[in-house]
Amino acid sequence: MDFSWNEEQLEFKKRTIKFAQNELCSNVLNADKTSQFSTKDWKKCVAYGIQKMASIKPYGGAADKIDLLSATLAMEAMGYGCKDNGLPFALNAQMWTVQMPIVQFGSKLQKEKYLNGMATGKLIGCHGLTEENAGSDVFSMQTTATKVEGGYILNGKKCYITLGPIADIAVIFASTNPKVGKWGITGFIVEKGMKGFSQSSNKEKMGMRTVPFGDLMFDDCFVPDENLLGKEGAGWAITSHTLEYDRCCILASQLGAMERQLEESIAFVKKRKQFGKSIGEFQSVSNRIADMKLRLETSRLLLYQVAWLKNQDKPAMMEAALLKLQLSESFVTSSLDAMRNNGGRAYLSENEIERNLRDAVGSILYAGTSDIQRNIIANLLGL
Amino acid sequence: MNKAIINYITDELLNETLEDNLEVDDDLLGGGILDSMGMMKLILFIEKEFGVKVPPEDMIIENFMTVSHITTYLEKKIKLD
Repeated sequence: MDFSWNEEQLEFKKRTIKFAQNELCSNVLNADKTSQFSTKDWKKCVAYGIQKMASIKPYGGAADKIDLLSATLAMEAMGYGCKDNGLPFALNAQMWTVQMPIVQFGSKLQKEKYLNGMATGKLIGCHGLTEENAGSDVFSMQTTATKVEGGYILNGKKCYITLGPIADIAVIFASTNPKVGKWGITGFIVEKGMKGFSQSSNKEKMGMRTVPFGDLMFDDCFVPDENLLGKEGAGWAITSHTLEYDRCCILASQLGAMERQLEESIAFVKKRKQFGKSIGEFQSVSNRIADMKLRLETSRLLLYQVAWLKNQDKPAMMEAALLKLQLSESFVTSSLDAMRNNGGRAYLSENEIERNLRDAVGSILYAGTSDIQRNIIANLLGL
Repeated sequence: MNKAIINYITDELLNETLEDNLEVDDDLLGGGILDSMGMMKLILFIEKEFGVKVPPEDMIIENFMTVSHITTYLEKKIKLD
C-alpha cells in the first residue's frame, strides 16, 4: 500500500495552495460577520478549474472519468490555503452532491444543460434531501412527487440546504411511492423560476457563515419528466453513491484547515513568551500540539484510504464512516486546543482563531452526525 | 444462488427473527426484512460472492425486492458480463 503522491500531484497541490492564498479570502473577517457569500471568489475558482474537477468530458470536465485523488488533493489544498472554510465547503456541496449525481445518473440532455453550466460558473447547484422531521432518518421524508401527464407535481419543504437561497438549480428528493418507504424515493432536478418552487433567504448560523443556508419550498411545483434524475425509486442509490465521495472531499478541505491551524498554533506558541520562555516549552502546551498533530495524521491516513478505495470504485462504507467520525471530531477538538494555545486573544473574532471552532462544529452534524457514524461502524461490526 | 443469498440474509442481516423461514418471494424491502444498511451489506456480499459489480443505477426496488428478483437480476447481469 502506497499513499504517497507523485511529483506532479504535489506540484498541483502547491499551485492550488498558492492560488487559494493569493486569490481568495481577501475579506473573510467581514464576510463572516455579515454572512456574505463571495460570488467573485466562486468565479475565481471556476477560472482556476475547481468546479470542473467534478465533471467529465464533454460536459466541462477535463477527462472521461472524475479523478477523485486529484480532487481530494485539490480540496485539501483549498482547505489549507483558503482561510474561509465556507468556500471549500460550498464548492464541495455543489461538486459532489449536485454535479456528481448528474454525471452518474443524468440523461444526456441533463448533462448538456446543467453540467457545463456548473463547471463554467453560469449555474450554482444545491442538493435538497433533509427535511425538518427527516434528518438522520432521511428517508422518512414527507416531500411527495405525484405523477401527472408529462411530469410530476412536487409538494413539501427541504431544510438546511447549503447554497439553497442562491442556487439556480436543485437536485432534490421526493417520495413517488410512499408505500415502499425509502425504495420509493426519487431524484429530480428543479430550476429556479419553476412555478411553485421558492427559496428562503439566507439563515443566520453559528459557523460557515460565508455559505448561504436555507429552505427550498415546493407548492404544487410541476417538474417535467425530462427532469427526473435516474429512474423512479433510484433516490436511495443516488444518495448512497454520492455520500462517500462527498465525505471524502468535504473532509479533505477540513484536513487542510487542520494543518493550517496546527502550523499557526506552533508558530504562536514558539513566539509567545511567558515566565521567561516560549509557552511551547511548557509541557501542557506542547502536549496539546502533539495531540493536534496526532489527530491530523490519523485523519489524513483515513482520508487517503477512502480516496484510494473510491478512486478504484471500491466500497468504503466502514472506512468512510470511520473517516467522517474521526476527522470531524478531531477538527472540533483541535480547534478548542488552538483556542487554549492562543489564550485570551483566541476569544476575539478579529484574531481569526475562534472562527475555526465555529466552523468545525457543523461537521459533527452534517452528512451524517457522529452518532450515526458510530451506529454504522457498530452495525458493520455485526452489532 | 438463491440458497447462498437466503443463508446470508438469515445469518447476517435479519433485523428480527422471522416466524417462518425466509422464502425467495418474501418482500425484503416493503416487509422490513432489510433496512438500507442491510441492503448495502447484501450488495457487498453479492459482489464478492458472485464476482459481479452492481452499479448504483441498478440499486432499485425492481432488482432487489425479493431473493427471486435478485437472482433474476444477477443471472441477467452475469450473462451480459
